[in-house]
Amino acid sequence: MSNAIAEPGAAAAPGRFRREVPIQYGMAALVVVLVAAPLVPILYQSFLTGALYDHDARLTLGNFARLAQTDGFGTVLWNTFLLAALSTIVAQVFGTAAAILFGRTDLPGARVLGELFLWPIYLSALVLSFGWYSIYGPAGYITLFWQSILGEAPWNLYSIGGMAVIAGVSQAPLAYLYCLSSAGMTDPTLEEAARVSGAGTFRTLWRITLPLMMPAIAYSAVLNFTIGLELLSVPLIFGEPAGVTVLTTFLYNISATSPRPDHGLVATAAALMLVVIVFLVWLQGRLLGNTRRFVTLGGKATRPRPFRLGGLRWPLFAACVAYVVLTGVAPIGMLVLRAFTSFLSPMVPLVDVLTLENFEILWREPVYARSITNSFVVSLVGAAGATALIGMIALIVHRSEFRFRNALHYTALFPRAIPGVVAGIGFFYAFALLPGLGGIRNSIWILVIAFTMRFIPTGLGAVAPMLLQVSPDLDRAARVQGADWWTTTRRIMAPLMRPALVACYTILFISFFKEYSTAIFLFAPGSEVIGTALLQTWVQGEVGVVASLAAIQVVVIAVCITTARTIFGVKLHG
Amino acid sequence: MADLKIEGLVKRFGEVRAVDDVSIHVADGEFVTLLGPSGCGKSTTLAAVAGLDRPDAGRITVGGKVYFDGSRGTYLPPEARGCGLVFQSYALWPHMTVADNVAFPLTLRKVKAAERKRRIAEVLALVEMEPYADRYPHMLSGGQQQRVALARTLVYQPSILLLDEPLSNLDAKLRDRARTWLAELRTRLGLTTIYVTHDQIEALSLSDRIVVMNGGRIAQLGTPQDIYERPADPFVADFIGTTNFLPARVAAVAGGAATLELADGQRVDIAAERPPESGAQVMLAFRPEQMRVAASGEGATPDGSVITARVLSRSYVGGRWQVGLDLGGGPLRLEIETPPHADAVRLWLPRSGCILFRGAANAAA
Ligand SMILES: Nc1ncnc2c1ncn2[C@@H]1O[C@H](COP(=O)(O)OP(=O)(O)O)[C@@H](O)[C@H]1O
Ligand SMILES: [Mg+2]
Repeated sequence: MSNAIAEPGAAAAPGRFRREVPIQYGMAALVVVLVAAPLVPILYQSFLTGALYDHDARLTLGNFARLAQTDGFGTVLWNTFLLAALSTIVAQVFGTAAAILFGRTDLPGARVLGELFLWPIYLSALVLSFGWYSIYGPAGYITLFWQSILGEAPWNLYSIGGMAVIAGVSQAPLAYLYCLSSAGMTDPTLEEAARVSGAGTFRTLWRITLPLMMPAIAYSAVLNFTIGLELLSVPLIFGEPAGVTVLTTFLYNISATSPRPDHGLVATAAALMLVVIVFLVWLQGRLLGNTRRFVTLGGKATRPRPFRLGGLRWPLFAACVAYVVLTGVAPIGMLVLRAFTSFLSPMVPLVDVLTLENFEILWREPVYARSITNSFVVSLVGAAGATALIGMIALIVHRSEFRFRNALHYTALFPRAIPGVVAGIGFFYAFALLPGLGGIRNSIWILVIAFTMRFIPTGLGAVAPMLLQVSPDLDRAARVQGADWWTTTRRIMAPLMRPALVACYTILFISFFKEYSTAIFLFAPGSEVIGTALLQTWVQGEVGVVASLAAIQVVVIAVCITTARTIFGVKLHG
Repeated sequence: MADLKIEGLVKRFGEVRAVDDVSIHVADGEFVTLLGPSGCGKSTTLAAVAGLDRPDAGRITVGGKVYFDGSRGTYLPPEARGCGLVFQSYALWPHMTVADNVAFPLTLRKVKAAERKRRIAEVLALVEMEPYADRYPHMLSGGQQQRVALARTLVYQPSILLLDEPLSNLDAKLRDRARTWLAELRTRLGLTTIYVTHDQIEALSLSDRIVVMNGGRIAQLGTPQDIYERPADPFVADFIGTTNFLPARVAAVAGGAATLELADGQRVDIAAERPPESGAQVMLAFRPEQMRVAASGEGATPDGSVITARVLSRSYVGGRWQVGLDLGGGPLRLEIETPPHADAVRLWLPRSGCILFRGAANAAA
């Protein structure tokens, strides 16, 4: 063979510039800046007497005392705890029952029911709330129907209990998914041993299967409790009119809607929330460690034999159908129907009220048309940028010799502990602090930046498991043959990661498209997105417009999920 | 091509010393095999040479180029070394065709398109894979993948060739053929090669020299004949071919020979250059093929001794009988053509060719 190269064998000169160094350090610096951007200003502001962009603001500890003495703050904390705890209980009960019924029994149609049960996970709690309002609200379809036959309806969405049910239903899919993966892991020989020794179906379920699911239940309970604390939409829609304030709505009231916000108080309340959530996320980490340790031995080779429900099979089937229809299908269906009508009531024939006027308003009013366009730009472009960033983070963390890769991993996962509200307030301060960035502050790019930071952990969760399945020999082979880290990343790893990146993009697109809690603190006239427009329009009482905006969101997300599943075979959960 | 010098190589994973003070000098064009049981540190040694793992201490040089020097902090990244490494898993890139896989290292070296095409065709012909150039790796059999992996490595003329158990993923029949093919290829190429395997037949038939490794350390380094006929310790003797071990005590020593007393009092004479002192505990090691059943009436001669062993079991294994014996309290297995009729058999053991290891049983099979 010939001597086309000076040094036989080696492709790279020994003393050459190593371009992975600036790339890896640059990425790490970017992630640190992104994650620190909302946190540092909040913590700093919580110790200042005035606004942090004020020059005569002094350091103080007084904000904490003032917050504690704020009228009704104790009630706010109690409401927050109560709502989170009750919604967690609702979510765990329904989620666990669904996991056992759909995953471990011979219930008819378990697969389809399981799919429908997951619906709320793809929609925002905001849209679900509107759906529930249109059915179970004071003028809701079923409420009116009930009243016309049986008199006063016994439920009230404008209460802690009502809110907890909505929130619980929207979080039940998480409990379901975690329990399902643990029920799947359950060693069938343990169950079979119980059955052989004479225990009946329900005894076995109660004494063997359920205790084996305990770690998954505990982990998802803490997860759901955390989500319950962070929840903004449900208390904003149903709590505020009834005078029930929780920490998120408290923050919203004293900052976003207040003419002259007390920045010290806002930042201190946000910092308090941050501390609590950081603790809960740490607890999740501990529990997850325990879950792994608790995995039953025996492996997955044998699929557990499903329990026979016997005579209860059809009654339970009916109950499950009722649950799925009453909590998900009907509210969303009714919301979509409401979008095509001027008014909706069991007393009025449907044909009389059918109209496209709601959509005409969306088309006519620039603010609505703009919010839809902005949502698309933010989600399409933002999710692409975020996917690229997340792919790089995953590669540096799992596939490089970068010195600080463990620290980078930790930092990249930290946004799990930053609630959407806190991120919104934090980025608002960050951009207020940096005068040069005023252009970004009033554009949709501030939303892209904030959303990207928030959803880095979500994206990593989609990318990392698939990346870990790619054999390290494949990139090591490229390195030995003379490719440096960056060439290996582009030529070998990027094509191999394509399915992971498509899944990541899909999940981020959906997350960006339905996001509102961070945006509500950051948008300006001209940079509205569907989420913020929904909330604003709701406050104005334009139910028809809200329904049509929500319908668009639901349809776009449904199309996105179907496309990803059928064309790319993306697995979005599990 | 170049020679490879590994000096005092150490690699730790936490508390485990995966490679513990290993030194090997592979001459230019030499074929050296790392042989040892799974987990003894073979792959780790190879990865250190290729630059995939940074060792903790030691020095690695190839043809005078320093790859790694722990004391000076020199460490060349893998892409600057120019080694060729064939992975146990072959590591063919699934998203590229055979031709693209082979082209990759040439593209990296900015080889012109025409030249590249010529070299790809040349190397695919060398491994007899030319007709498969446009296939994807998953459309190839294990043996074919292994050849492509080799072609992808040979195409850029690596300074040294590192092969990590390249035949272990093939089934037994294919493995025999691939081994013969590899032996031919090796004489044609004459590359400096380190070959890793846990299979003694591959090691004995392919290598110029063999490094037997045990627990991260070198147990013995020598030619295949050295290793087979003069193992340095019971571990090597046991690992290379089946070996029988008999515990014994030195009863008497006289001019290059020792008289051993087995546990049941029987005596054998063994030639030994430097026999241990009288009274020492030893292990007598010999290959099954060195021992035979003594003819009736045959007694001890100056060439060998006759000992009696008790028959414990006999089973027919097709054409031959496998006999389980008890010799002075130690188990012994023997394959013979006619089964013993009595409860005891008389065995003839040659005076020379057996090996004495000092010390009590620690590697008795
Ligand atoms: N990345 C690693 N992390 C921890 N221990 C390792 C790692 N790689 C190898 N080891 C340990 O080092 C020892 C040697 O491994 P290896 O070199 O792969 O053995 P071999 O190739 O001879 O089978 C083993 O005990 C193995 O468990
Ligand atoms: Mg190995």
